[in-house]
Amino acid sequence: MEQRLRNEAKALLEQGKVDWIIGFESGSLKFATTPLITKDKNDADRLVINPFMVNNLANFLTEVKGRVGIVAKGCDSRSIVSLMQDNKVAREDVVILGVPCRGIIDLSKVERLVGKERDELDDITREGDKVAIKVDGEKKEFLATEALFDNCLACEFPTPQEYDILLGEPSTSVVNKPAAQEKIEKLKEMTPEQRWEFWKNEFSRCIRCYACRNVCPACFCQRCFVEETEPQWVLPVPRWQDNLIFQIVRNIHVAGRCTDCGECERVCPVNIPLRSLTKEMYDLVDELFHYKAGMDKEAAPLLIAYEYAEAEDLFR
Amino acid sequence: MRQGTEWEPKLVGFLCKWCSYAGADLAGTSRKKYPANIRIIKVPCSGRVDPLFILKALRLGFDGVLVSGCHPGECHYQTGNYRARRRVAITKKFLEYVGIEPQRVQASWVSASEGGKFTEVVAEVTKGLKEIGPNQLFSQERQGDGTKAT
Repeated sequence: MEQRLRNEAKALLEQGKVDWIIGFESGSLKFATTPLITKDKNDADRLVINPFMVNNLANFLTEVKGRVGIVAKGCDSRSIVSLMQDNKVAREDVVILGVPCRGIIDLSKVERLVGKERDELDDITREGDKVAIKVDGEKKEFLATEALFDNCLACEFPTPQEYDILLGEPSTSVVNKPAAQEKIEKLKEMTPEQRWEFWKNEFSRCIRCYACRNVCPACFCQRCFVEETEPQWVLPVPRWQDNLIFQIVRNIHVAGRCTDCGECERVCPVNIPLRSLTKEMYDLVDELFHYKAGMDKEAAPLLIAYEYAEAEDLFR
Repeated sequence: MRQGTEWEPKLVGFLCKWCSYAGADLAGTSRKKYPANIRIIKVPCSGRVDPLFILKALRLGFDGVLVSGCHPGECHYQTGNYRARRRVAITKKFLEYVGIEPQRVQASWVSASEGGKFTEVVAEVTKGLKEIGPNQLFSQERQGDGTKAT
C-alpha cells in the first residue's frame, strides 16, 4: 500500500496532474507521523502509511493554492467532501488518495497499557484485531479496541467515501461503540447542574490556545468570532465562562461539518474531553435532521438545507 | 433588583422585523398587555440570529432568550426562518446537553397579525423562567475569578 502510494504520488506530480501532494511522513518522535506537504516528486518516497497517521489533512487543503493530491482516511475524506459542500474546494482540484483505515493507534493509550513511555517501546504493529507491542524483547498482545482512539471505536466509514485512487481493499474497522460512547453516557446520566459543573471544571483548565479550532478542517472562518472586537463577543483572556462559550459556539458553528475525526480532543494540551461535545453534536444533527457530515458532495450543508416541516415541537 | 421587590426574570427577544416585531407592535396598538420582562431587539430576519447571540445574552445575565420569526413558508427572504429553525433547534438541544435549562432558550413563530399570540408567548415564556429562577450559570463565585459579567 505504501509503495503504491509513493508511485501514484510521484506519477501525479510528474504528469502535472497535481501541484501539491499532502500526505504523511515519519516524524521526529518515535512512531509519530507528521504531515508532508510538497511539490517535489523526490519527496514522494518519504510518504508513509501506518496506524499512527493521526492528522486530518483536509485542514491543509484550504491553505495551498493549485491542484492537490491528498492522502485521506475515511473521516478525512468526509471532511474533504464537507469542504466541497461549502464551496471551499472544487472537486476537480483535488485528487483523493484514499486509504482504507483500520483505526489509528492512540499512543497515550498504549503507554498506559504497557506502563512505559513510547520511547522505551521497540515496536507497535497491528495484527488483525490485535495490537502487538514489542517491549524489552518481549511481545505483548492487546485487543485493538483497547489501543485505538475513542473516535475510531465509533467509526462508521473507515473506507473513504469519496476518492480517485483507493490504495487497497475497503476495510472494516474494529468498533466498540459502547466504549466510544462511555464518557457521553456518563454525562447524560447526570443532572443538568452536575453536567454544567463538569464542563465548568473542565474549561477552567482551558488556556485558549485555539489548537482545537486551528486543527479543525470544519473551522475555516477567515476571522473567528472570538477575535472580533467590535462587538467583543468573548473576552480573549482564558476564563471558564468565555472558554465554555467559545467551545459551545464553535461546536454549533461546525454542526453538520464535524465528522468525528477526533482531532480537537487529541491536540488539546490540557486534555479537555472535547469529543464528548463534538460527538454529541454529531449524533444530535443525525437525530434531528438525519444528516451526516461529508457524505454527499452535491448535498446542501446542514445549516443551509431545510424541509418545510421539521423540529416543530421546539417552536411555540 | 431593588430590595423588597419580587424577582422578575429578564428576557431578551430577538424579533424578526417583518413579522414578530410587527406582531408585538400590534399587541401594543391593540392595548393588549404582556409582561414587561421582555427586552426586544429588532433583527432583519430570524435567520440573522447567530447562536452566539443567545450565548452572549445568557453570559450577560439575561434569564432567557426568545427568538421569534415568521411561520414556515412566510419568510420575507424565502428561507431565513428555516435556517433559523435548524440553528435554534441544535442550539437548544446542545445547551440542554451541556447543562443549560431548555426553558432559557425559546423560539416561536409569530406573524404580524398575531398580536394576541405574541402576548401569550411572552407570558408563557416569562412564567417558565419564573419557575426555574434566576440565571446563575455564569455567576462569579468560582475560585479567584474576578470577571464581571457586563
